[in-house]
Amino acid sequence: MTIVIIGNPNVGKSLVLNRLTGSNFIVSNYPGTSLEISEATLKLPNHEIKIIDTPGVYSIFTMGQDQQVIKDLLQKEKPELILNVLDATNLERNLLLSFELKELGIPMIVLVNQIDRARRSGMQIQRDRLENILGAPVVFFSALTGEGLMELMQMLEKNIDETAWPSSIESFFEQGKKPECVFQCRECSIGSESCLSSEDFRRAEMARYTAQLVEHKQSETQRYWIDKAEKLLDRPLTGTILLLALVFLGFYILLKFIELSEGPISALLNPLNLIIENFVANLLPPGIVNTVLSKAIPEGLIIPFTIIMPAMLMVSFLMAILEDSGFLPRYSVALERVGRLFGVSGQAVIPLSLGFGCRTPAVLATRLMPTIAERFIVITILSIVIPCAATIGVMAAVISTFHASLMVLVITMLTVLMVLGFIISHLMPREEVFVYELPPLRIPTNKNVLKKVRLRFAGFFTEVLPLLLVMNIIIRALMESGFFKLFHSMEGFTRALFGIPADAFVAVLVTMFQRYLAPLVLLNINLTPREATIAIAMISLSLPCLPVMVMTVREIGFKGLIKILIIGFITSFIVGAALNIILPG
Amino acid sequence: MYLKDMQTGQRGLVVRINKGHAAERRLFEIGLVPGASVEVVSRHPFHGPLLLQVGNTRIAVGQRIAEAVEVEMKSSTGNTP
Repeated sequence: MTIVIIGNPNVGKSLVLNRLTGSNFIVSNYPGTSLEISEATLKLPNHEIKIIDTPGVYSIFTMGQDQQVIKDLLQKEKPELILNVLDATNLERNLLLSFELKELGIPMIVLVNQIDRARRSGMQIQRDRLENILGAPVVFFSALTGEGLMELMQMLEKNIDETAWPSSIESFFEQGKKPECVFQCRECSIGSESCLSSEDFRRAEMARYTAQLVEHKQSETQRYWIDKAEKLLDRPLTGTILLLALVFLGFYILLKFIELSEGPISALLNPLNLIIENFVANLLPPGIVNTVLSKAIPEGLIIPFTIIMPAMLMVSFLMAILEDSGFLPRYSVALERVGRLFGVSGQAVIPLSLGFGCRTPAVLATRLMPTIAERFIVITILSIVIPCAATIGVMAAVISTFHASLMVLVITMLTVLMVLGFIISHLMPREEVFVYELPPLRIPTNKNVLKKVRLRFAGFFTEVLPLLLVMNIIIRALMESGFFKLFHSMEGFTRALFGIPADAFVAVLVTMFQRYLAPLVLLNINLTPREATIAIAMISLSLPCLPVMVMTVREIGFKGLIKILIIGFITSFIVGAALNIILPG
Repeated sequence: MYLKDMQTGQRGLVVRINKGHAAERRLFEIGLVPGASVEVVSRHPFHGPLLLQVGNTRIAVGQRIAEAVEVEMKSSTGNTP
């Protein structure tokens, strides 16, 4: 048996799936977290049920990317049951989708999620009335407290008998489901899919009417502090100040944490490294392999553990708090004006700030952007300008080693951000349609925050650490073998153009593989503060790392990536040359 | 009158949305349809976004949309939704 979960964005579909099957999908408090289909199996005493989670949609009769995903899925999987997840605090809007789903004719169970929150705010929902109107069983559910879980499982077990695939559904799959347009729609002869039909309005009317009928509100006097915080945050002046103060606090905590943890970690690591060095040196016969490995392995452990590890840990934690509390979408609103300067709408704040954690999922999150053009802009800015947690960590190491100028670097990055956004946005056509739903504020649960930190931080051991270690060995080997000396003939060229030695330019080229590897090359050469500043700027503002490239191809295609790579190269070289001219020698 | 002309705290009924199908559809999905009751929660300065309360949903819309949504003001008495 196959069940498909369908519901509005941000109603807790993934959380329901996690509760049901004990799986571990990422859950956040902003619309658009599950942009992909995830699947899990529920084992009941006598059956196995395949449960498929889908991206949140407000309507299935629209022709968007997500709607197509759901359409294809329904056609392919022919599910026996739809589990329609609703947000109890927001019935009117959620019911619209329920009425659409009802018309498909597939058996349905309606899950009213977050019932605990609705009750807390003094709202009661009349279950039997809702069941009558929808013609489907309704379960009150709280993914938080577990309410309704047993009831749902029992219901699934009872509903297990295979039902025939409704024939009425075929018309839904046919593209030509022509809406009978209402009078406002002048172009309905074109058969535009986005055209609103009288059927759409009828369903909206039904949803509103039903919501009024089944919702029973108690007193409005329950005003707890979250309400107050929400009011404060949603006021332009206080909100913007508060949100900016939070960002500042976040960065302060991040830097302080890295600074404080470096000492103890080094103290633990240094004796260990000595042991490793001796062990490797004694294990292998003397020669170049011995020299390379005994030096490279301990070296390769220092930066990942002392800097990248604390940075990734803290960024994961801060991002989890930001996501779960519902603050993140509020940044979109506060920064909408600023975003428009760069040619993106406020939604861009979400992928861009995710990029500070890791840019790979951030590229995925650009699906929140309303248009393809805006997606391209955001992915480009992400790839070229935004430093991820790992990058920040390594950059910090290089900056302090060579006493490079942090101020010059920050100003350079901001300038590039402005100029790049301005140029790209004026090259691309766009329509400024900013509509965004603001989820209610929530206090993040320890469990969810911990889970996110664990999931994101796992990348340190599976990706960052092995890659850095391997690359460090390769770079060490190249240095010992004298390979980099081959580039010395370029010295005149790099000195004249960018004011950096050829070795440092090699580091810039290494960014092709993984941006946070480049500084490893830098750390092994002698640079003046000026040279280091230019080299770091060129590295910080260059190409996306390999995983981001792969993701970019998946999301916007190969052509998009090529464009971004070209822009990246040009940006990096212009930044180098410009700084070489501007910075005093 | 249009959404953009409403002041913070004022409430109104959506009459018509004069913006292409795509925008209309998006607003429809989020609950901003003709007949819906909206309250302006706050307005960001410098033609920034407007925060609206539509039913139980809080949504933010940009200036371009605020210019396109035609509303009919409700009498400003009463604070309960």
